[in-house]
Amino acid sequence: MYLYIYDVFLNDKKYFNLLNKIENRLADLEIKGKICRLNLLKNMSEAIDDGIKQGVNTIVAVGNDSTFGKVVNAIADKDITLGIIPIDGNSKIAEILGVPAEEKACDVLAQRLIKKLDLGKINKQYFIDSVSIDDNNVSLNFEKYQISPVGKTMISICNLGFLSGNDSIYQKKLSVPTDGWLEAVVTPLKSGLFSKKNDRMPSVFPFKKILVESRGEPVTVTIDQQAIFKTPVEITVAPKKLKVIVGSERLF
Amino acid sequence: MFKNNEDSYKSDKIETIIGPSVKVEGEFAGDGDIIVEGIVIGTLKTKNHLRIGSEAKVQAEISAASAFIAGDVSGNITIEADLDLKATAKIHGDIVCSQISIEKGATINGKISMGSPKKPAINNSVMEK
Repeated sequence: MYLYIYDVFLNDKKYFNLLNKIENRLADLEIKGKICRLNLLKNMSEAIDDGIKQGVNTIVAVGNDSTFGKVVNAIADKDITLGIIPIDGNSKIAEILGVPAEEKACDVLAQRLIKKLDLGKINKQYFIDSVSIDDNNVSLNFEKYQISPVGKTMISICNLGFLSGNDSIYQKKLSVPTDGWLEAVVTPLKSGLFSKKNDRMPSVFPFKKILVESRGEPVTVTIDQQAIFKTPVEITVAPKKLKVIVGSERLF
Repeated sequence: MFKNNEDSYKSDKIETIIGPSVKVEGEFAGDGDIIVEGIVIGTLKTKNHLRIGSEAKVQAEISAASAFIAGDVSGNITIEADLDLKATAKIHGDIVCSQISIEKGATINGKISMGSPKKPAINNSVMEK
């Protein structure tokens, strides 16, 4: 049984025709289900809990990356399969999962190709892709050793790494979201025209748990280009935590 | 066919890369291959292959299944199988290994013992790969 959760911004009239088209396509594919339109008085957790009580086993988030991030956190600890219908073409999470925007997403849902993905967990919040740390003045503390960046670097904690700002991470498959590990990736920023090739080599440390601490003022930590935390933060992996419907164009 | 050795970090088998932009301090241990191009202080252990590049500076007790060393190492080295020292290698410490290859130009200040090391390269239960 499917539950479709429409994010609050879809209450705007301009989405009326688009949502009608999506609903018609879902009906054609015989995967229509209950629809829940979020509003100021009805939040996502309530809608999901009500749906589970009524026997829902697949929740489809209709909206954008903000919507998907919230749904992931709401269902991560429940035995529910997640599907998404991106409403604009700007969803990075949809790109990761290989789900096209709007009506075309319905076909991916109907194919029901399900993958179990690892999730990262920072303090108590889950993330799908990556954590970016804006400042070099941090130390990454593993169980028995500690890493300190040298020089100007970009630090990412990756489950896949697509949103980390360093394309090579997912292109070279340095981080794979189905292997039960997260990777701390420290990439040197270009130091000059005559820098050696090895000077740009990224450092890669697979781990299951780390503590990120700053060596001075608290540092900003951004997850999946959305939520923001301040150091210190503990980051762990939650292996095979999310059952999600993916498309054939997925990035992993 | 003409693959540059310095490109080997792109290999799918590599699991941990300590690049030139980081300093690692403590007991670093892993199950997979490790490439070191940066600074390591403490201990460095792996059940697989260890590669220490020419720019790396390692002040650590090392143990691995096999190793390629082209950088500076201060500390004892225990290798289960083959140890390959390149011309740029500078070793300050004792070496225990089964087989060794030393390129002209490498410097070793320490004792070399050949034959199988008494202890396995690693036996730990740490969380790192």
